Order: sequence, then structure tokens, then C-alpha cells
Amino acid sequence: MVKFLLNRLAMMLLTMLCASFLVFAVCEYTPGSVARKSLGPFATQQQVDLLTVKLKANDPLVVRYGRWLGVLVGAIPDPLQDPGTGLNFKDPRGAQYFGNFGYSTLNKLPVNDVIWNRLGNTAILAGLAFLLIVPLSIVFGILSGLKEGGALDRTLSVICITFTSIPEFASGVFLVTLFVILWPILPGTSPLNSDGGWAIPYQFVLPVAVLVIYDFGYVARMIRVSMIGVMERPYIRTAVLKGMSTRRVILGHALRNAMIAPFTVLLLQINFLISGVVVTELVFAYPGFGRLILEASLFGDISTLEAATLITVAIAVVTQLLGDLGYILLDPRIRVR
Amino acid sequence: MDRKQHPYIPTLVTDLTSGGISRRDFLRKATLLGVSAAAAYSLAGISEPSVAKAEDMPKGGNVRIGMRCMEIKDPHLADFAEKSNVVRQVCEYLTLTDRNNITHPYLLEKWEVSEDLKTWTLHIRKDVKWRKGGKALTADDVVWNLKRVCDPAIGSSMLGLFTGYLVQEYDGDEKDEKGNPKKSSKLWADNAIEKVDDVTVRLNCFAPQIAVPEHLYHYPMFILDPAENGAFGADANGTGPFEIVEYAVGKGAKYKARSDYWGTGPYLDTFEYVDLGDNPGAGIAAIASKQVDGLSEADAVQVNAMKNFPHVAVYKVETTQTVVARMHPDAEQFKDKRVRQAMRYAIDREKIVQTSLLGAGTPAEDHHVAPSHPEYAALPKYPRDIEKAKKLLADAGYPEGFEFDMVTRPDPIWELNTAQVLAEQFKDIGVTINIKSLPSAQYWEVWTTAPFSLTAWGHRPLAIMTLSLAYRSNAAWNESHYSNAEFDQLLTKAEGILDPKERSKVMAKIEAIMQDDGPIVQPFWRIFSTVMDKKVKGFELHPSQYIFAHQYAIAA
Repeated sequence: MVKFLLNRLAMMLLTMLCASFLVFAVCEYTPGSVARKSLGPFATQQQVDLLTVKLKANDPLVVRYGRWLGVLVGAIPDPLQDPGTGLNFKDPRGAQYFGNFGYSTLNKLPVNDVIWNRLGNTAILAGLAFLLIVPLSIVFGILSGLKEGGALDRTLSVICITFTSIPEFASGVFLVTLFVILWPILPGTSPLNSDGGWAIPYQFVLPVAVLVIYDFGYVARMIRVSMIGVMERPYIRTAVLKGMSTRRVILGHALRNAMIAPFTVLLLQINFLISGVVVTELVFAYPGFGRLILEASLFGDISTLEAATLITVAIAVVTQLLGDLGYILLDPRIRVR
Repeated sequence: MDRKQHPYIPTLVTDLTSGGISRRDFLRKATLLGVSAAAAYSLAGISEPSVAKAEDMPKGGNVRIGMRCMEIKDPHLADFAEKSNVVRQVCEYLTLTDRNNITHPYLLEKWEVSEDLKTWTLHIRKDVKWRKGGKALTADDVVWNLKRVCDPAIGSSMLGLFTGYLVQEYDGDEKDEKGNPKKSSKLWADNAIEKVDDVTVRLNCFAPQIAVPEHLYHYPMFILDPAENGAFGADANGTGPFEIVEYAVGKGAKYKARSDYWGTGPYLDTFEYVDLGDNPGAGIAAIASKQVDGLSEADAVQVNAMKNFPHVAVYKVETTQTVVARMHPDAEQFKDKRVRQAMRYAIDREKIVQTSLLGAGTPAEDHHVAPSHPEYAALPKYPRDIEKAKKLLADAGYPEGFEFDMVTRPDPIWELNTAQVLAEQFKDIGVTINIKSLPSAQYWEVWTTAPFSLTAWGHRPLAIMTLSLAYRSNAAWNESHYSNAEFDQLLTKAEGILDPKERSKVMAKIEAIMQDDGPIVQPFWRIFSTVMDKKVKGFELHPSQYIFAHQYAIAA
């Protein structure tokens, strides 16, 4: 087990290295240099050239990637914070420490000051949505999977497919029109402070609703398929024929087996909810991680993008690990080596 | 009347009574020459527009306005109205041009100008105090600010405005790729910006310039505390009505009223900007649920969605805000001026206004001088003429047309819509335009280097301000790489002419050059609109999108 975990950890670090290098390389091909982005669009070329030299931004890609990695692990100080650049970038933690994601050229703040707060906001949004998506999709999935093609299955399937096929921006606008404009009982944006006269819990209702509406139908469909497969298995028929109650057949025999495949799907939703909720965050002006990634990538803010990449990779690897451990609990035949 | 009045004032009064100039032109001119607004209005025989009285305004409370909060590197480099709006509540200008294009003293008590329009004496108010330290605003502070924006290393767009009368270009030591010396700029003389005494500054210009007070209100021309050396953020010092207590990019700004402000107001206790992101729907939703009291801007689509909300008032103002499809005359396809002319004949302006602005605009005439600009000279208008455009293209060697990329940005949406309508209309003369829509941040990386792009230009009270920023050879914002010696010469001439009749003759020549040889296709002037909660009092929509929170109050 320890070996398995160590193995996974090593894989995670390798994946992070590859992903961060890829992002670094891709950012190379977007217009605008680091110097230009730090100084803004109206700086003179002379200023840009000077800063480019100071930042050694003309070094080969691999050298600069190595330097970024050095800053991250705390081996060297962040060159952007050198007072000689005249940029006035300061990090209260110092220029050299482990986990230094560098300076965000978009926000003109240390990435560590920006990203964790945003990630926390999105984690709350994602957590609330996940808490609703799991039970809802399991109930819907099981009920429709019990009898394929039955009236209940058809009804639930229509609901699930309809909801899943409405894009988030459409359901967002629809809900805002209903509950903010026509029947004003909820706030239309979620700045996560109560300055606008709405308590914070109210501000979660619509964004969470949009995420749940978009996502639960898809997961329910997955569970349904898995349930149908399980319900056709011989051991279910045996259980039914030996006179077991439907309730015991489902809860005792079918459910656990039917959850193995959807379990991965459910965990994948965490990745989606952390990094893929950008549309919902835009619709409700929610100060989240997705919007930060979008703005950083549009601006070409490499430091923020790299930090976001490492965080999302870490989340993906951890959920995958949880998935593997979950399999062991669900299916005793699976062993880790 | 003041005994020291400018000798040209009596001529202006005569011109006004004989009908030689319009009242609007008279008011602007007289105030620029140092006559107070009240005196100018009374000379013109019209009553001054009424201003809400301080005692009638409700006191206290908070107003929240939805606006993008972008990174502010240095107020002297402010390049968007939004950025300057953040600074505007804290730092102030020497002068103020109101929505009727009348320029008033602001941090100045008054100014005087010599007969030849070359020597401007600026008298600083004696009651202005910096928030931090409580010291008075001095001539040293003002001189430091004026000299700072003239330093090419700072990179302020003020440099372009001052070039031609305070700042001169010279060949620098460095060479470009072709071996030609790189241009740089400097003050034309050591005493160009001169401290006379503690409360008086003199501008000694080498060429006449009437628009100096208007230039001093160009949006980066904030008077900053020299001790802070151009830095701006929470707790920044200023002479203005508010203290900024919080500023976060992408989130918002919070202000607290100063109790010792020298001017009238502020009536509010606190003021806030809230960043609602790029999604126009978020602005509508925030207004609907009263999370903000107003927006800094609402486009025609947003206004349509909100005009029926019972608590919302819609504000509209005609502006000289515009977009120009500008072509680099140094690009192969646009070298021949007949191609640029063909592009101008290819478009149907009325249709573009209807399609991309939902009617909220008026047609423009390809010379970047608006009918509402005081120096506008009316030239014959020309309609869409496909045959003529095709012939011009054929004469220039493109009988089959050509294909070209046009760079633009996706927001605001009316800019992209305009690009699409233009591309459709250019197709009719055989020119295929591929729209390259870049995110705003990347767009501003290439806005001066892309050979063909669609660029938005903000409102300015004077056409010569825009013309000298954008089309004078080597100007800081000359995105179209336009360089025409005759045009430069006429522009400098127009800047120094006082007589409106004489100046309008020169302007007619400038406009004709733009239409004949110029680098732009300019479809329209925009009508600017926004919404505010009806509880917000004292709000006036400024065509430059400027927000003055110290004039606002909120009813209980």
C-alpha cells in the first residue's frame, strides 16, 4: 500500500512537470512578451527592451523554464521582484521560498495572494453543488435503471436529458429572469459579500442550481446504464427468484455493484466543478478560480496559469487516487500492488 | 469684467453679436481665454445651466457602481476611462471640461494667456490640501507632474498632446533596424514649464496653442503627490474628495469621504466600484437585484433589457466616441490612396448604425472630426458608391479586390458587430476581410502594429486633440502609421488660430486631406448610455464616461 501511494505521488510529480512545461511552451506562442505585459500596452518599446534584458527573457525556453522551477521550489529568488526592474513588485513572504508561484502580471500581486482565495470560493461553490449532485443523480439513476423502458425510466430520462442539454449560460439567464427579474426573491450576482444588501447564503442559490441542473442528469444517466447492466446479471435474478424483497435486492446486491463504474464519473465531476465552472462564474460575476484561469489565459499571465495548472493536476491526481481506493472498498476482488 | 482680459475677447463678443460665431463656440473660446464660465454665459446672454444646490442634496449613504476594475500601474499612464475613474475620486485635474464642452478652473483659481497664445499663466488655488500630511498644493507639485508626463521614459499619452508647443521631437542616439536615428522627445526649453512663485506656474510654449486648458483635463493628467512617484493603490494620497481604502483588480474599489475636502461635496459617506466581469448579463442581473445602484456604461442591448425596471433611470448622451477601421499606408495593399478611398466608398453608414448599435449612433465622415466638435467644418457628404469604389480599386491595380486580415476585439460586443458588418460590406467591392478577434489584452499588444485593425477611440472635447494624438507623424498613439507633412503643418496651424472663421477654413483642408488621403474608414459616432437607480441624485452622464462621485447623493 505504501509502495502504491509512493508510486502515485511520483506519477503526480511527473504529470505536474510535463503539464507545467507544456503550458510554459504554449504560452510562448501567444503574442506579447513578459516585459510588455508587465509594463502595459502603452509603454514605449525602449522601456520594454530594457526590462526584457533585465528579466533575461531572451534566454532559451528550457533555461527560463528551469528558472521558473527554481523560483517555485525556493532555490532562487523571483527575478520579477528584483528592485532593479523598477516594477515595484513585492511579496510579503519574500522573494525566495518554497511554493513561490511568482508574480501575477495581470493582477500585479503575488500569485499566492490571488489564487488561494479564488480557489476557496470555487471549492465552496463546487462542494455545495457536489453535495446535491451525488444524492440526486444516484436516486434518479437507480430509479430509472430498475426497469429499463418503464414509464418511470422514460419520465426520468426525459428530465435528465433535457436538463443536461441546456447549456449553463442559458439556464443561468433563464433562472435570473425568473427569480431575479420577474419574481425578485434572489440576488442576480454573487460577489460573496453582503454589501449589496443580500446575505451571502442567498448568493449561492442560483449558481449552485445552474451547476446541479447542468451536471446531475449526466451522472444519473451513467448510473442508470450501470444499474441496468447489473439488474440483468444472474445473481440478481437468483436473489429475486429466491424470494428476496425488492428493497433488499437493490440495496444489498445491486447498488454496490452498480456504483463501481459511476464512482469514477462522480469523482471526475470534482475536476469539472473546480476548473470547469467558468461559465457559471461569469454569468453570476462569481469571484472564482475558473474566471481567474480564463482571465489569466486571455492575458497570458504565465505565473497564474502555471499555478492553476499545478493545482488542477494535483486535484485530478488526488481524485483519481481516491477513485482507486474507493474501488477497493466497493469491489473486494480489486487489490493494489 | 476683469481689466486683464485677453485682447481678443472684444472681437469674440462682436463676432457673437453679429452672428459670426455660434454661442457654443463663443462660450468655449471665451472660457479658454480665461473668462469665467459665469461671465461668459452672461456675455452670451444665456443663463448658466443650473447645478443642483448643495443644501438640496441628501447627505450620507453609499453608492455602488458596476465597472471593470483593471490594473492601474500609474495614473499618468491611464489608458481607459475606467482606470481614470478609479483615480478620479482621489486625484484631481488642473481644469475641468464639462459635458457642454466648457472648460472651468479646477485645482486652478484662474489662468491667463498672452495675446500670442504662447504664454499660459496658471494660478493654483490656495485652499487645496493633500489628504496625507495636510500640506497645501504648491507650484512645485504641479511642475513635477507636468514635467513627469513630458518624460518619454514614463510613456504618458500626454506627451502626444504637448508635442507641437511644449515638447519637441529630436533624433536620439539609438538607431532603428534601418540605421535611421530613433525619435525621442524632450521639453523644447529648460523654462518651458516654469515655477513663478508658490502658487503660480507658467507654460512658455514655442507655438501658439488655444486648447491648453482642455489638454490639462486629458484623462491621464492627474495631479499626483510627488512623494508617491506615480504609484497608486489603497491609501494613495490625493487632493480629491475621497480616500481610497481598498482596490482589488477584478473585484472592486472602496472609498471613504474626506471631511476636509476643499470643494463642494462629497455628499456620500462612502462610494464603491464593483467589478461584474465581462458578461453583460451580470450587469443587468446586479441592477435587477439592486446589488449595484448603477453601471458605468450600459450598451443598447443592456438598456433595452433594463429600461422597464421601475427603479431604473436611463441616461443618454451624444459623444465623439467612435471606431475607426484604420489601414497602414505602409502595407502593400493600402499603399495607394485610391484603395483607402475605395474602402470609404464601400460602406453604408446608416445600416451599420442600425445593425451594430441598434440605432444608437450618427454617421461619421472619415475625418475624425464630429459635428459637435467646435472646429467642425461641414464638407459635402458622400453616400455608398460600389461602382466608384470598384473603379478606384481597379485603377490602383486590384480589379479583383484582395484578401486581408482585420484585427479587432470581442468586447464590447458592438465593436465585433461593427467589424462583421464592415467585412460584409467590403465584400461587395471584392475585398475579403478575415476578422481576427483577439482578447482585449492581446489586442492592445498589437493595436499599433497590425496593418489593418478596428480601434475604438474615446470622446474628446476637441477634434484637434484626437488628430494630434492619432494622426500626427510619430505621435504616441499614431496606430495608423499615418505621416503627411502637409497634414501635420495644417494641424499645427489650426491649433494656433483663434478666429473661428479662419480656423474653420484650415479645418476644412484637414478634413479633406483625411477623406482623400487619410488612413481611416470611420462609420459612426456613438451615443453613449447608462443606467442608474432613481435614488441616485446629482448624476450627469459625461460623454467621456467620467464618474464624479462627489457630485452624487442617494435618497433614503
